[in-house]
Amino acid sequence: MGSKPSKIILLMPLVFLLVFFYIPLVSIVKTGLWDGGLTLRYLGAVLSNGYHRHVIIFTVEQAIASTLLTLVLGLPGAYIFAKYDFPGKRTIKAFLTVPFVMPSVMVALGYILLFGKNGFVTELVGRDLGILYSWKAILLAHAFYNFPIVIRMVSSLWQRINPHYEEAAMALGARGWRLFWRITLPMISPAIFASAMLTFVFCFLSFSIPLIIGGYQYATMEVDIFTQVMTLLDFKTGAALALIQITLSAVFMYLYLRSLEAYSKREEQRIFQKPAGFGWRDILSIKGLLMVVYSLIVFLFIVAPLLAVLYDSLRFQGGWSLEWYRRVFSPEYNPMFGASTMVTIRNSLAFGISTVILSTLVALPVAYILHRWNFRGKRLFDVLVMLPLASSPVTLALGYIKVFHSTPLYYTAAIVAIAHTVIAYPFVLRSVSTALRKIRPNLFEAALSLGAREWRAFLKVELPIAMGGVIVGAIFAFAMSIAELGATYMLAKPEYTTMAVAVYRFLGSRQFGSASALSVMLMVLSALSFMVIERMGEEVW
Amino acid sequence: MVTVELRNVEKKWEDFRLRINHLEARDGEFLTLLGPSGCGKTTTLRMIAGFDRPEGGEILFDGTRMNEVPPYERGIGIVFQDYALFPHMTVFKNVAFGLEMRRVPRKEIEGRVKRALELVGLRGMENRYPEQLSGGQQQRVALARALVVEPEVLLLDEPLSNLDAKIREKLRGEVRRIQRELGITTIYVTHDQEEAMAISDRIALMNVGTVEQVGTPLELYYHPKTEFVARFLGLSNILELEAENGRACLGGLCFNVGKEGRVRLFFRPESVYVKPGKTGRITDYELLPGRVRLKIDVEGNTILAERFLNELPFSIDEPPEGVDLEVLSFSTI
Repeated sequence: MGSKPSKIILLMPLVFLLVFFYIPLVSIVKTGLWDGGLTLRYLGAVLSNGYHRHVIIFTVEQAIASTLLTLVLGLPGAYIFAKYDFPGKRTIKAFLTVPFVMPSVMVALGYILLFGKNGFVTELVGRDLGILYSWKAILLAHAFYNFPIVIRMVSSLWQRINPHYEEAAMALGARGWRLFWRITLPMISPAIFASAMLTFVFCFLSFSIPLIIGGYQYATMEVDIFTQVMTLLDFKTGAALALIQITLSAVFMYLYLRSLEAYSKREEQRIFQKPAGFGWRDILSIKGLLMVVYSLIVFLFIVAPLLAVLYDSLRFQGGWSLEWYRRVFSPEYNPMFGASTMVTIRNSLAFGISTVILSTLVALPVAYILHRWNFRGKRLFDVLVMLPLASSPVTLALGYIKVFHSTPLYYTAAIVAIAHTVIAYPFVLRSVSTALRKIRPNLFEAALSLGAREWRAFLKVELPIAMGGVIVGAIFAFAMSIAELGATYMLAKPEYTTMAVAVYRFLGSRQFGSASALSVMLMVLSALSFMVIERMGEEVW
Repeated sequence: MVTVELRNVEKKWEDFRLRINHLEARDGEFLTLLGPSGCGKTTTLRMIAGFDRPEGGEILFDGTRMNEVPPYERGIGIVFQDYALFPHMTVFKNVAFGLEMRRVPRKEIEGRVKRALELVGLRGMENRYPEQLSGGQQQRVALARALVVEPEVLLLDEPLSNLDAKIREKLRGEVRRIQRELGITTIYVTHDQEEAMAISDRIALMNVGTVEQVGTPLELYYHPKTEFVARFLGLSNILELEAENGRACLGGLCFNVGKEGRVRLFFRPESVYVKPGKTGRITDYELLPGRVRLKIDVEGNTILAERFLNELPFSIDEPPEGVDLEVLSFSTI
């Protein structure tokens, strides 16, 4: 074990989590369950109210439906990626990271521009398909975000299945569907289950998408809490809803972590099967054609909303123009959100960078503890430090309002950066831990034998090798920070408005041109993040 | 250099129990821990290194108790089976690492790394990365990295077993040469008896959690104390006979045991001399380079004999009907 000062450094992040995650959480529990004494009144009121009940049921239903759609869309891709090598495979695989880092306000805007009354698809088909402002758009957008997870996780496991299993089964007479059903599917099921659970959790906690393209009728719990607190100022109902949401999402998160364990166990086998080549001639077969069609659909699915936003940002009064960009970069004060758009760009960058620094500072010591120490209750510790992943931004912000409203911290830039850190830090932790786990333990032992103390061995040997994971986690934190809407909206005063919040405000007043131009700026930042992540080539989950 | 001593060292996990009453690697000695996989030899090495902690007993360096001393303060150098070179550092950086940890001045580091790489025959490779080296070269770097800090004890955990046969033989000679040159106390773990015989001053032969026998290679080979030792090293003949008047006989093959009653006799195939006669019958033979291994049936027992082809008193193409045997050296176990 380390010496005294190093222990203090290791404890700091835990204090941070206690103050900025667990105390707000407890405060929500107290608000929802305490009124001069323990009471179930607010929980009861929520559960007996028809609208809230509808919202809870809808939240679960849409998460299930979104997950199924995501699997349908992702599994063929997983198959193609696992089994075939074809020109451009690397590029396409890289391209699949794009949705991860795209802010959901921007994607929501893309869907409005595609499926709205004057949308591109609407005009192409000649009638309104009734997709927007319904569950259909929510499902589509959720699938957009999550099908790359399915492709990546499932194909990575599929590739590593020892080919001898399938060959042995074939020699015993299994083939085609039966081979898949009896042998292949059971082998890849941990990956399918883990990716599905992750998708489910994300959809369950989804906020911006249903807020913007779902409308009142298709609100999720996250939207409902937001409305209760921000519009109706009903903290008691909001807290009761948040309680239900946290409980459910903690259960789902636990299932996800369990399935992830099974997944990584299988993945460790690391037997790499070289995929079959896929040349131009193979395209002419039926299988080849199906693959091409699938690839086209996926491609359109990813780029369509992005292109729609880009196109719209360049159109002004029926012609091509950079007018919207001129307005974005003008220092003019915008009364709608109480700052100029230039300032929102500066704010987003500042919050993004603070989040990167803070979340790395919090995640690294926790990763070190999990990696290096063995102690009783380590499993529980693991769950406790990962729990922020199961909490939603809106709930977190609600907790902050309750706990910090009378402290000088409230309404400052710091509290926004802190909220972003709590939201983003689990991803940094995951990314770093995964990278650390891949390092053979005897490198650490070799360093000790050469005279390095534990922490120096960590800093000089393990951390540099895991640096890819640290950078990917940090960039991911940056992308999450600039995309964050709910908590920022609730906690930031006007001069700290971010780009994502500004886009949301523009959307609210139906100023699509400004929204698009600002979204393109967001897209550029996200694309930069994407390129760094791709260069490092590390997996986040 | 130091003497490494283990006293009543114990370690348990699940259904396995390791117990070493006494084991000593003397100052400047090359001691090999030999045994089948799962016998506890690597665990023993890891406890000496300080990576694992014994649950009982003491580990002493020159009489000083080391149990609580962390690995980085034990003055050891270790080489792992898979080398464990730091993949993000060049050969130079890898070898320099231990010196940097000891805050050796920059100027001095350069010279010492150079000398260490020369010692293992790797001049001019300083700027390569581990992945650009062959297995043998990686092993030399690992050795240089362990030696450059001038450790008092060198620990080697199956360092050659990932290499192919020819390089393995060459490297083991070099390890031995370097060890003699530096006179460093060395503890070497292997499951390969030939390697152990070739390289060691003394061998500690281990079997499921205990040390069966410690001795020079010749002592272990010709005077094993237990049947396990006898059977683990090379081929052996073991006979159970009844002795009368100080002699034990199997048909016409007699031994002067100097005892009465039941005895277990042990002798090596190369101690068995054969000539045409009628004590036993050749049932099978195997040709080896320059030698022949004979299976001889004596009263229903198979006895192995190994002889050089040019010292057989008959041609192996036309073996005699029967043979007489003479065993020149044997021991009772």
